[in-house]
Amino acid sequence: MSWLTSWIPNFFTPSSAWLFSLLIPIIVFYFLKLRRTRLEVSSLALWRQVINDQRVNAPFQRFKRNILLFLQLALLCLIALAAMQPFFPGDAERLQYLPILIDCSASMAATDAEGKTRLELAKEEVAEIIEGLMPGQQLTLISVGNSARRLTDFTDNKPVLREALESIEIVDVPSKIEDGLRLSQALARTHEIEKIRFYSDGNLPTRINPATGKPMAAVNFDLPFAVDFFQMPAAGNNMGITALNARRANQERWDVFLRVEGTPSGSTESRVVLMANGQVAGEDRVILGPGESQRLVFGVPADAANHLVAKLEPIGADALEIDNRAWLDLPAAREITVYCPPELLTFRHALESLEGVRVEPAGDGAADRVAYDLVISDQADDQAREAPVVLMVGTLPDDLTEMITILEEPAEVVDFQRDAQLLQHVQLKDVIISESPEKKEGVEDPDIEQLGYTMLAYGNRGPLILRQRDGTKVTYFLLFHTDRSTLPYRVGFPVLVNNLLSEALQFASLGEMQAAKTGVLPSVSLTKNETYRVTRPDGKHEERMTNDDGLLVGVPASQIGEYEIRSEGNLVDKIGVGLLDPSETSLFAVDKIQFNELSVQAEDQKLKTDKPLWPKIAFAAFALLLFEWWYFQKRPAGIPD
Amino acid sequence: MSVSTSQFTKLLPNDVLARAERMRINPRRRRTNRMRGEHLSGKGGTSIEFSDFRDYVPGDDMRYVDWNIFSRLNQPYLKLFAHEEEMHVPILIDTSASMAFEGKFELARQLAASLGVMGLMSVEKVSVYPCGPPPRTTPNLKPCSGRASLKKFFGFLEGLSAAGDLGIDLAIEEVLKNHRGKGTAIVISDFLTFGDVSRSFNLLHGAGLEIFGLQILGPSERNPELTGDLRFVDSESSQTLDVSSVGELLGIYHEHRQALEDYLGSECRKRAGRFLSVGSDAPLKTVLFDTLLRQGWIR
Repeated sequence: MSWLTSWIPNFFTPSSAWLFSLLIPIIVFYFLKLRRTRLEVSSLALWRQVINDQRVNAPFQRFKRNILLFLQLALLCLIALAAMQPFFPGDAERLQYLPILIDCSASMAATDAEGKTRLELAKEEVAEIIEGLMPGQQLTLISVGNSARRLTDFTDNKPVLREALESIEIVDVPSKIEDGLRLSQALARTHEIEKIRFYSDGNLPTRINPATGKPMAAVNFDLPFAVDFFQMPAAGNNMGITALNARRANQERWDVFLRVEGTPSGSTESRVVLMANGQVAGEDRVILGPGESQRLVFGVPADAANHLVAKLEPIGADALEIDNRAWLDLPAAREITVYCPPELLTFRHALESLEGVRVEPAGDGAADRVAYDLVISDQADDQAREAPVVLMVGTLPDDLTEMITILEEPAEVVDFQRDAQLLQHVQLKDVIISESPEKKEGVEDPDIEQLGYTMLAYGNRGPLILRQRDGTKVTYFLLFHTDRSTLPYRVGFPVLVNNLLSEALQFASLGEMQAAKTGVLPSVSLTKNETYRVTRPDGKHEERMTNDDGLLVGVPASQIGEYEIRSEGNLVDKIGVGLLDPSETSLFAVDKIQFNELSVQAEDQKLKTDKPLWPKIAFAAFALLLFEWWYFQKRPAGIPD
Repeated sequence: MSVSTSQFTKLLPNDVLARAERMRINPRRRRTNRMRGEHLSGKGGTSIEFSDFRDYVPGDDMRYVDWNIFSRLNQPYLKLFAHEEEMHVPILIDTSASMAFEGKFELARQLAASLGVMGLMSVEKVSVYPCGPPPRTTPNLKPCSGRASLKKFFGFLEGLSAAGDLGIDLAIEEVLKNHRGKGTAIVISDFLTFGDVSRSFNLLHGAGLEIFGLQILGPSERNPELTGDLRFVDSESSQTLDVSSVGELLGIYHEHRQALEDYLGSECRKRAGRFLSVGSDAPLKTVLFDTLLRQGWIR
């Protein structure tokens, strides 16, 4: 009988039913007031015949005798009903405070066959909730992209809510539901929130479920309230660029790698074009099966700086347009400069065997550069040389002399961070070291870390390798001298040198280059403490100041496109930002969100909201009023032309 | 009606009067009296209008022997002349209170005057019977004829007023109790009566009178524009009738009014009479010299 109860309206203010009691005085006054106008006519003969006519005695005609009364009673009934605020109850329980989270991440821009985006569908559903808002209910709208933004306070002001709903726009970033949940959690401290509603396409960050081997959306959050997850219908097929990077193949050429991925829902086809400085540098045609991806490689000359734009030109339907472009800027190739004193023969040997590396001091002893890309030295003074990457060999930093002493005893490597960039593919386990750095008594690891050092390798008495970051500069400290170890004779030594060089190449933007993703603009090195104007792709701009290191950091980049950085109107730099997110491009959607203690399944059916009837009833009352006016003002019927 | 001092009667303008004097009532059948008159009878008579010859038989009036033929043929032949008989034109004018509405009575008197003039000038026996007041309370205009009776005729009509509550059907029966003579009965009324005129018309027909029924209705009776809840008061009987939503009933009212008109027309035609319904707002000249002339009431 639930279908029956859903059709029986409820009343929000049943107390207004007292208005029905006004029916009594209306009836009384009507009959007291009923005084007919006397009209003398020549004869009643015809009128008596009319009255005696059968049709006159029909029930409807009897009703007509008091039609004014009936109209007035109907009008009052409608007004009383409208005042009682009837509504058809929906599926959802009525809550006083209800936060509504709306996913506005990039995948919500995916369109279906009708051309509607997921966000538009979500907005339509939320708009219904706003329309069906009952007195005493208050909503707050929260848009969730890579961060959450509260659009309104808790309010029942429909125009405000509608305006806020309309203001929600797609941000070209992956979604991060945690922020929205945390915001709701903060609201729950001041309002009684039992439940929140989350509208999303289900394209959330996933990880593989170890139990099932399938991806699942796991959210590290302890829910203090219930979550109703409303999943938007799936969009159409899509193909997009998910990666664009370049690696220097040699001195003359960059290898540009471009990955395109398709949705699991169906095959996709597209033409891929790579433009370099406005010229076509390469193009290809890609046909992907469901869920497939393909990596394309293009060669780009490295003799000059290149501004690369990768474009997808879909053949057929493409649900998401924003993942069809990506930008990458490649600098002109040059030799990488390394300062390495002649005493460090082992390092120089390793460096000189690498192509495109200029090692100084050269044979004539000249080392006149102000800055290098890499400094490798066992002289403490060389630590001050200007270079983004520095490796100090057998040198104890000054600020650690109070904490660590170097003992003339053998040491062995107990553990090391294999994933540290310096130590990738380097095996230190069997390296024999004749010096042993030892922590002084009372010194603990956190004490060293507090000074800004990261311990990359541990000996049996203390740290062996440290890393210190100072702004953009990275300094590695080998607390033992390589000449007093077997490290130079190990296979891992040239790998370690190569890792150093790779990091230096990265800093010099000469090794590998990756296209920038949406989210935050990559840091740009500019003049210190100077204000720059950053113009977004949509034409809006903001003023930003560089920090003490001359870096322009923390500029939000929520839209794909090219961001222009200007100083006093002059273009300083231009950075293209693409979506480049496989999960957003795949439009893969989960129908269950796993929270810390429970999981939330997407609702199968569209939520039926309360449907208020009082506007319709009020309109009917108005129409009845107009009808009454027309009925009693109209020209009498039945007069022949 | 404004009356000019040069007018013969205040009922009719002089031009209408002059024209009416030249016109004649045109009955469908000859319903005449034995009395000599101007209507030629089908029977032989003593008028100057030659009809036929026949053989003389003893006893015939010698004055009608055609002596010229006798001198030629030496046989007496009798000259036959058409008999000219007089026709009665009783005018029954409804003087009940219902006629006092919207100029109905004025038009009724004008039409009665016009038709009466035609009868008088045709040397018919024109009489006037007011129908409305209780029986034997109002004098009638006795049958009169000729131009000499015009003054008396107009004077009688001018003296009539609309007051009374006798239905036209009953009034006709009362008239027939006094009237003698065949001819054409002109009944001018609104025929808004609770009774049935069928019996009255039968009596008229039986009395040798051809019925000329003239219904006069006011504009509000022909096309009432009423709305709301009303209490109708009968002008004759002061009876009341409460009607709600009058506007919705106007269609039925019109059906009944049309049905009454059709019924009266049918009743008149069944008795070889004529019937016409006119509005009281219709101009006299239009009714008289257009409608009645075209429909053959007068010639």
